[in-house]
Amino acid sequence: MSYTIALAGNPNCGKTTLFNDLTGSRQRVGNWPGVTVDKKEGTYKKDKGINIMDLPGTYSLSPYSAEEIIARDYIVKEKPDAVIDIVDGTSIERNLYLTLQILETGVPTVIALNMMDEVEARGDKIGAEKLSEIFGVPVVPIVARNGKGILELMAEAVEVAKGKKTPKKLPVFDEKLQGTIDDAKKLLDDAGETDSQWKAIKLLENDENIAGQVTEELKKRVGEVAEKAYGSGADLEAAVADQRYQYIAKVVKDAVKKGTTGHVETKSDKLDKILTNRILALPIFAVVMYLLFACTNSENFLFLGINSPGIWLAGIVESIWGWLTDLVAGLVGGASPWVYSLVVDGIMEGLGAILGFIPLVLVLYILISFLEDCGYMARIAFVLDRIFRRFGLSGRSFIPLLQGFGCSVPAVMATRTLESEKDRKITTILAGFMPCGAKLPIFALFVSTLFVDSNQTLVTYSLYIFSIVVAIIVSLLLNKFVYKDGASNFIMELPQYRIPTLKSILIHGWEKVKGFAVKAGTVIFVSTILIWFLSGFNFDSFNGTNAAESEDGSVMCEMNDSFMASIGNVIAPIFKPLGFGEWRPAVGVVTGWIAKENVVVTFAQLYDEDVTDEYLEEYFAQYSSEELEELGFEDGEYDAEAAGDIYSEGVLFEGGDENALPHMKDDIKTKAAAYAYMVFNLLCMPCFAAVGAMKRELKTWKETGKAVAVQMVTAYVVALLVNVVGGLFL
Amino acid sequence: MALAMMEVGETREIKEFHGKEEVKRHLQDLGFVKGERVQVIGENPSGMILLVKGVRIALNRGLASRIMVV
Repeated sequence: MSYTIALAGNPNCGKTTLFNDLTGSRQRVGNWPGVTVDKKEGTYKKDKGINIMDLPGTYSLSPYSAEEIIARDYIVKEKPDAVIDIVDGTSIERNLYLTLQILETGVPTVIALNMMDEVEARGDKIGAEKLSEIFGVPVVPIVARNGKGILELMAEAVEVAKGKKTPKKLPVFDEKLQGTIDDAKKLLDDAGETDSQWKAIKLLENDENIAGQVTEELKKRVGEVAEKAYGSGADLEAAVADQRYQYIAKVVKDAVKKGTTGHVETKSDKLDKILTNRILALPIFAVVMYLLFACTNSENFLFLGINSPGIWLAGIVESIWGWLTDLVAGLVGGASPWVYSLVVDGIMEGLGAILGFIPLVLVLYILISFLEDCGYMARIAFVLDRIFRRFGLSGRSFIPLLQGFGCSVPAVMATRTLESEKDRKITTILAGFMPCGAKLPIFALFVSTLFVDSNQTLVTYSLYIFSIVVAIIVSLLLNKFVYKDGASNFIMELPQYRIPTLKSILIHGWEKVKGFAVKAGTVIFVSTILIWFLSGFNFDSFNGTNAAESEDGSVMCEMNDSFMASIGNVIAPIFKPLGFGEWRPAVGVVTGWIAKENVVVTFAQLYDEDVTDEYLEEYFAQYSSEELEELGFEDGEYDAEAAGDIYSEGVLFEGGDENALPHMKDDIKTKAAAYAYMVFNLLCMPCFAAVGAMKRELKTWKETGKAVAVQMVTAYVVALLVNVVGGLFL
Repeated sequence: MALAMMEVGETREIKEFHGKEEVKRHLQDLGFVKGERVQVIGENPSGMILLVKGVRIALNRGLASRIMVV
């Protein structure tokens, strides 16, 4: 016999931990239809016949957020065989509020009393049997973090599901209110409505969602019942909430023995005194952010002269991939030139671009998961709220923007945690302005070739500041002219600080990276092949001209003659006012939309004619044999074949060489134009993978188009200003 | 008086809320109901940290000034 058991509970009640315990790796993450709320399903690892559904964490079943509507529609309409209601024993009063509403729906229920270890440590005693007696459903004490009580919990849940045990009606409301509910229920029964008891309460609570599901006539008559008992304009909703809490207070008095009376200062309170302190909060936050970036992107980890875990992992992945590429190249070596080029330059390079990112994203995500799971992220959101509010955002927008420094794709995905739609839309746009990892090589290339006599570090840092300043201005403008919803409220539970388990952080981090790799991967993969095609072919590829002219019979052409060059020539005039209206920089912009790091690769390829064999030999002659070995030449010996790759990979860009790409200076003549080019690439539409993520979060192509348009216009206007104003000074 | 005027350490009872129905409902779900005792346990430029039904809730000042306490 197979059963579906749903997990319900407040946010931070340990629901996700329990879900991971129950399902192990057998879980699927998807989206609930029509909304961007994660839908998580899995099978019980001890019994494949049991399907576990993780409902979104909610405080109640009222219909005011997407999460609440999903949770209650699932319970009421899909009718799972049983619901496990997870109650955080350390804040039992508040948690039981949801419990009452779940029991009201009449679904077979088991209550899991979680965090019992912390309850005991406090000296409190919760009488599970007493609670079970009061509510008429099984109550099982558990500790989800270490798996204690979970077997018993599942045994009870299966029993309840088998027996289809509907919970009894509880004496929650006073006589007058219950009488009114009964009258309303009778009306609903007469009209043939199902779940009449539950709907009666909801209608009296002015639940718009349910009101929309019954006839006008019925709605009116229920309204009359309420008016007869309470007079017109009575706030029954408040009365219902009030009486639920009063009932819970009585239950708690009967079943819970507090070790101490009143509130005792906990460890979390003490930590909050420091971490949310009016003076210390921001400096501590700055240090935490520094550590976060040091672990992901730094090549000088904590000034120890070693690579950070992120860079280190990326290096390993890259070398494995390089080895694999060589292997594959050997396998297709005999194939025709275009097949070889497709496999090696197109597919392998495209996949390599995704794989190169995964370690950085993984490390960043694991660290962010740690900050979220331990409870600190909620404090950061609160502490920053005041600053973000000035720019028309909420403190919660910080998390997605932070992720934007790594990669726009997870950043855009993270906007779904924002409550207000306005915040979500604006943050999605702003995330694209952040200097993601793939934009850094562009800055490095330009700074080293066109800003040789300037303070290069300063130029690079100024771009970071630029992105933040532009984000602030755009947010203010969007608030003023486009999304005029007014300021949203900040209200957030600050969970207790807990040291998260390694398992939960890894699952949490991996879940997101997996989604990123698969979804973003397909976009990057397909578009890499597209760019490979556009930059290696032209019309002559298909009429035999290329094949006849080339030595090896290849139908491919040089990039200078390719479709890509034609595209570049068409759009180049658009960039004239920005100072870089030539086809090669224009092609750079276009390939940047596929993946930002492509800009550098494109430049290296397009200005390749400058880098002749003679030039390379001369260039590398300045290095000693040890240095050559360090740069990647085998045994420290100069090798003409390897020189090209090594040169374009980094020597040129890190060291700085104004004569490296002489033609680049013909196309981008002034420093103002060079800076405008960097700014344009920083701010314009992010890569297609990120646009795909934006579409998922904004739901429609229309909204996505609007967001991309804002990014494009911003990039153009700002780059224009840089070129014109900068031209006066630089 | 408004909740926003309370000092750290002070405990008072909630009287009413002035504002949108939607926000009111959310506050109710978090335990902000008439007669409930709230304690201010922290304060910073962003707003206040309150203890409601044994749970820490952070609120911005604008919202706290629309919750009336006695």
